[in-house]
Amino acid sequence: MVLAADLLSPNAGLIVWIGITFGILLILLRKFAWGPITSALTTRESTIQDSLDQAKNALAEARAVQADNTRARREAEADAQRIMREARDAAEKLRSEEVEKTRAQLRQMQEQAEADIEREKQNALNMLREEVAHLAVDAAGKILRDTLGAEHQKKIVNDMLGDLSRN
Amino acid sequence: MIRKSFFLPAFCLVLLTMTATVSARAAASGDEELDPIHHSVDGNYMDFSPIGKLELPRIFVTSSADEGLGIDFFLTSTAAVERGGYAATWDTAQGEGRYYEAHLTPPGGGHVLVDMSITRHLVFAWIGMLIVWLLFTHIAKMYKAGIGRETAPRGLLQNMLETLILVIRDDIARPSIGAKSDRYLPYLLTAFFFILTCNLLGLVPFGATATSNLMVTAVLATFTFVLTQVGGTKDYWMHILWPPGVPTFVKPILIPVEILGIFTKPFALAIRLFANMTAGHLVILSLIGLIFSFANLFGDGAGYGVAPVSVAFSLFIYLLELLVSFIQAYVFTMLSALFIGMAVEEHDHGHHVELSPTH
Repeated sequence: MVLAADLLSPNAGLIVWIGITFGILLILLRKFAWGPITSALTTRESTIQDSLDQAKNALAEARAVQADNTRARREAEADAQRIMREARDAAEKLRSEEVEKTRAQLRQMQEQAEADIEREKQNALNMLREEVAHLAVDAAGKILRDTLGAEHQKKIVNDMLGDLSRN
Repeated sequence: MIRKSFFLPAFCLVLLTMTATVSARAAASGDEELDPIHHSVDGNYMDFSPIGKLELPRIFVTSSADEGLGIDFFLTSTAAVERGGYAATWDTAQGEGRYYEAHLTPPGGGHVLVDMSITRHLVFAWIGMLIVWLLFTHIAKMYKAGIGRETAPRGLLQNMLETLILVIRDDIARPSIGAKSDRYLPYLLTAFFFILTCNLLGLVPFGATATSNLMVTAVLATFTFVLTQVGGTKDYWMHILWPPGVPTFVKPILIPVEILGIFTKPFALAIRLFANMTAGHLVILSLIGLIFSFANLFGDGAGYGVAPVSVAFSLFIYLLELLVSFIQAYVFTMLSALFIGMAVEEHDHGHHVELSPTH
């Protein structure tokens, strides 16, 4: 069929022309267009990527610094609390020691006083006993001198003294 | 808004119908017939009908017994016949008298060895190349000046072209070719934009589609073919000449198939682009031709009657062609990248992709 053959008819001249001119176009565009364009695009992309990376790094750094600060603050707070607790404990201990010491001193003083009192009481008792014996002897002497003989008087006195010592 | 959006296409349709019927009458008054194939094929003239036709220069490499090789240059076909003494013969009686549609043979018993004439498709291929060149050297200048490199791209042109460039680079070249994609990117970009521009030039009034010429698409496919074979790695040739992983008795069958495959791939590229670009134009011209056929068969009334339908349908096909222009440019580039990628790919030896499920 002639019409279809027209569509497919070979044309060597056209092949040569297109081959040469397309080749030239390819070489020229590669040098003057695609080279600058693609390198510019790559540069732009790497710039954008770098900026993003930098921003990400800066953010990470800021986060790290913030975390450091928070940790330092927490540590300081904990330290302060520990110091306060220790001080309180020390004060408490000191106070209780003081109280204990005072109490012991008081007890000692009390014991001392009690011992003194006991000794004075014994002294007084002994003196009283002597006084009472003198008084009794004097009184009995007086009575016996009046009523009884001397022998009798002595016996009575001895009996009384025996009673006293038994008491 | 609704009324406006309805009015505009309707107005266009009426306008196109009027133009079609007027040119139908003009054609009917002359002795020219509307022949879809004749309007799609290459020719030695630029067709600005109904204004007129512009003959293109003829360049012949001739060979004759007594003078040997020679080159003849004429500004027009008519000049070749009238002043160069070339003899004109016609295939069909229809074109008789028009030298630009004739077979020309040099005087003195010689014959044309190669017809290097500037044809319509060549002119439009060159126009396409010029447009691509101007567009991309223009935006390359912008990038060099720092616009788009240090700053965001500026303006419709740069944004639009950059988007297309990035599609070729990021969606075609890099996934298909991988590490070596930068080496083949200039070819893929040039092919894509050249094909796209030529496709679109075919949709411009008085334009012709250089990519609807099998010679043009064959040259483009040859570029892909050469790049594929030159870039082919040892693995690529091994897979063709001694396919691994198949029993030896299968190899005699497989090797010819693989060798054939080297050539069928670019052949398919050429035929696909040519057929797609030709088909759309043939359909549009056939639909317009319906007006003439109806007028001839059933009288003028039928011609007028069928005109709105024809125009509406051809408008639809025209829009489809616009889509196909982009799709075919994309497909050609995509497949070229795939073929190149398959050839330049570095395989890992020892374990095959097909054999190792963990790979």
